Amino acid sequence: MLLNTENTAKPPSRMTGRQIEYLIVAMLVAVTLALLFVMGFFSHAMAETNGSKPQRFAGYVRPNDMGTGALLFPSKEPGSFVEAPRLATDVVIDVNGPIIRTRVTQRFQNPSKGWVEGTYVFPLPENSAVDTLRMQIGDRFIEGEIKAREEARKVYEEAKAEGKKTALLEQQRPNIFTNQVANIGPGETIVVQIEYQGSVHQSGGEFSLRFPMVVAPRYNPDPIVQTVDLDPKSGYAVNDPVPDRDKITPPVLDPAGNAKINPVTLTVNLNAGFPLGNVTSPFHQTDTQTIDAMARTISLKSGSVPADKDFELNWSAIAGKTPNAGLFREVQNGKTYLLGFVTPPSGAAVVDTPAKREVVFVIDNSGSMAGPSIEQARDSLALAISKLQPQDKFNVVRFDDTMEVHFPSLVEATPDKREEAIAFVRGLTADGGTEMLPALEAALRTQGPVEPGALRQVVFLTDGAIGNEAQLFEEISKNRGDARVFTVGIGSAPNTHFMTKAAEIGRGTFTLIGSENQVAARMGELFAKLENPVMTDIAVSFDGANAQDITPNPMPDLYRGEPVVLTAQLDGATPAGKLQITGKSGNQPWRIEMDVAKASEGKGIAKLWARRKIDDLEASAYAVNDAAALDKQIETVALANHLVSRVTSLVAVDVTPSRPANEPVASTDMPLNLPEGWDFKKVFGEKPQPTLPDGQRKASLEQSEQQAMLVADRMAAAPTARAASMIADAGKQVDLPQTATLADRHILIGLMLLAFALMAATTFSLWRWQLRGLVSEARDRVR
Amino acid sequence: MSDKPGNDAHLEQGQDKEGRAGFLARLNPLETVVLAGILLIALAGLMLVGKGFYMKAKAEFSQVLLKRSFEAQLQGDTNAKPWPWADFSTEAEITALRIGKTAVVLSGASGEALAFGPARLANTPAPGELGTSVIAAHRDTHFRWLKDVKQGDLLVITRKDGTNLTFRAGTSRIARWDESGINADAPGRNLALATCWPFDATEQGPLRYIVNAELVADAVEAKGSMAEGLPLSPARSF
Repeated sequence: MLLNTENTAKPPSRMTGRQIEYLIVAMLVAVTLALLFVMGFFSHAMAETNGSKPQRFAGYVRPNDMGTGALLFPSKEPGSFVEAPRLATDVVIDVNGPIIRTRVTQRFQNPSKGWVEGTYVFPLPENSAVDTLRMQIGDRFIEGEIKAREEARKVYEEAKAEGKKTALLEQQRPNIFTNQVANIGPGETIVVQIEYQGSVHQSGGEFSLRFPMVVAPRYNPDPIVQTVDLDPKSGYAVNDPVPDRDKITPPVLDPAGNAKINPVTLTVNLNAGFPLGNVTSPFHQTDTQTIDAMARTISLKSGSVPADKDFELNWSAIAGKTPNAGLFREVQNGKTYLLGFVTPPSGAAVVDTPAKREVVFVIDNSGSMAGPSIEQARDSLALAISKLQPQDKFNVVRFDDTMEVHFPSLVEATPDKREEAIAFVRGLTADGGTEMLPALEAALRTQGPVEPGALRQVVFLTDGAIGNEAQLFEEISKNRGDARVFTVGIGSAPNTHFMTKAAEIGRGTFTLIGSENQVAARMGELFAKLENPVMTDIAVSFDGANAQDITPNPMPDLYRGEPVVLTAQLDGATPAGKLQITGKSGNQPWRIEMDVAKASEGKGIAKLWARRKIDDLEASAYAVNDAAALDKQIETVALANHLVSRVTSLVAVDVTPSRPANEPVASTDMPLNLPEGWDFKKVFGEKPQPTLPDGQRKASLEQSEQQAMLVADRMAAAPTARAASMIADAGKQVDLPQTATLADRHILIGLMLLAFALMAATTFSLWRWQLRGLVSEARDRVR
Repeated sequence: MSDKPGNDAHLEQGQDKEGRAGFLARLNPLETVVLAGILLIALAGLMLVGKGFYMKAKAEFSQVLLKRSFEAQLQGDTNAKPWPWADFSTEAEITALRIGKTAVVLSGASGEALAFGPARLANTPAPGELGTSVIAAHRDTHFRWLKDVKQGDLLVITRKDGTNLTFRAGTSRIARWDESGINADAPGRNLALATCWPFDATEQGPLRYIVNAELVADAVEAKGSMAEGLPLSPARSF
């Protein structure tokens, strides 16, 4: 009222009153802006700290990052590794018909002044059979022997503790093998040679092989800006941890330069077994020598190794000579091992109208899916529904500890229904327990009979966090009927065991989606399969020969362009009889016969059979109650065939030829005598660029020295062999979850908002009060 | 001066009586907008505060239910669930002796389990088994006391089979979530407790605070629960 009285007292101050009014409004706006700015800054700061993903130091790697064979040393940063300088790599790939044998020899160096334990990581094509490991550390030769996993580890640990040179090759996952090498002395050179067996990949008349050759970005010239997973809460940030990066970063990894310091030689001896047409290597320049119509020798042109592409070789037969079937055999220990492949006639297989599909989607929205998992599941499912064709039918089931079937029965995939279903899926939140069985029953049993000519597919999206696996497997195998069950694993640590097995029993496939940016690509692969089944119900039998083991068992469905590939073990060295393969292409039965006696000789088939047998045994784990007995079975097969598997490892045994007593122990210049049958020549000796001008050679030498110094700098070298064993870990480290709630932040922001509202309300009432004064003043005047 | 506020109140009351119904009508459009904005902001603030306290209350209250179901588990009821729709089970109880804090540990730190209690990471062994067991919890609820754990402190873990294990806290350190340096298969029987760092920050960040602890075999013997079957099978390798 004070203002008011003043106003009435001095009429000209009406202007002042209005000015005050404006002032108050301006202040309000200013305070609002200031608050918004502070909050914006706040959330920006959060985005920055939250968003800075593994901004790794240049040069530090982790085993999972490796795209090619590499020797890793533990670094000073816990959990990170540094790559040993790779001095030379030689690869020889022998292709004989459908079988590939690869031998990789690599030379590394320990650039540090201490004793270390290194981990040699080598990614391999899925289902490769590793059977040979040879190493040279300093002046010791070591050859791997196959042993049961635990026994092998014991031998290794003992040798390591005694300070002996030793190595252990273990299977981490079916396509990742690690080889631990203990007690590498200062400055010592390590040569690793591994051999593995694989089979030629066939698709649509094209034959191909692939060799991993991607070099991890070792010395990043610039900080990498990594866009992080598209979490709505995070952004991205550049946060350079090495302020003087330009001083320590040598400008390498230009392909040509890399080839000079890290020479790679690669030779493929291709013996296709049929008249060759085109032989191409899409990513690398090669020299091809023609041996005869069926054989070529392909080698890399020197100095042309792009560091970012795997080596790939594709070949095909001359027109009209593409083999659509083949049978090979190998006799070992009085038993015959067969490898057969058949490509079903594609003309009959591709039906004019695409098959009608009936798809039941099952999505898990239990509490364990909370966070990014449910987002990925929702996206994947929405994508899947949007890809349905109008002639298809579908339904959606969601479950936690309750369950809900969205449509009463299968519905036509009209745009309306699809949109309705997508909206339903988008609205799902993750909460509650995981009761999978009722949902599975609903998907398998209550969707009515399958229409003639239609394909029933059940697509299951879950993280598989369940305890009643056996019950679920039983449900699938009993009530599957003609349906195929496809599982999609969601999240960072899904129960892959459950989902792989469920898909196998359901005769479908398992797709793993680990992060948001994999959704489109992985689901795309799955759709291609869902939409193009070519042949189903494939069965293999032998007529007249005693076949004990045919793998894979059961035979999977075929998708476009794929051949049936089978291996079998037969009694006797000269079996006779016929191999019969039957199947169904749509409604049309298909059958083919091959004469076993006419099979041609092939090498390494026994190993391929063993590897597949092990896969089958692993796959049958759900049905076997006695896990120990199963492990024993796998062990028997693996040991008999000298294969690395989940339960067997190669452990190195020192086989150094004894040194004559009169030779001085320290004579390192003495040429080493390689044990018989060893071939390390290619990675020693002259550098493959003898024509390099002096200046360049000097430069490249300097570069490699610089590299070695950098690596030595970063290594956590142990002064003794004993300490080396303390430092070394397998590199299996645990990722920690997010352990901060937003509760405090919510409360803080909430309180700020309340304070602001209070302030604004006060200002507002003051303003109103002021106005009222003006109004009453006006009234007074009128009176 | 002194009687003016009283005057004013009186006047206001009179005015209110005149046109209470027309309170909104008496506001001009700009004022209505401003008032609505203020109300909205206040409402949003209240909701956020409520949500924050709800999260804290949930964390506290669920521990009570969890403790009850863990007791039932100790009594031998293997199917005890804290509430019917829970997506996890209780697995152990952790006690920091010096600080006097206790929490029930859940199995599997995935999804929403961490909102209810500390959880053991599913890819690490159970406490007391060979290797390094990792238990993580929120820094602002269940592991608020982790910063007070000092080197040498004793941590008692009661497993659901009734075994009491004593761990002695060792060093603590700060690491990124994806560079923890914790090896689940490391030799020995170890325990690592993890929570977010810095402790008083309000945003979610990439850094974690890790306390290492080692099993104390003697303490177990002293407690006399050795007979209950501490798994000391020698040299069981992985």
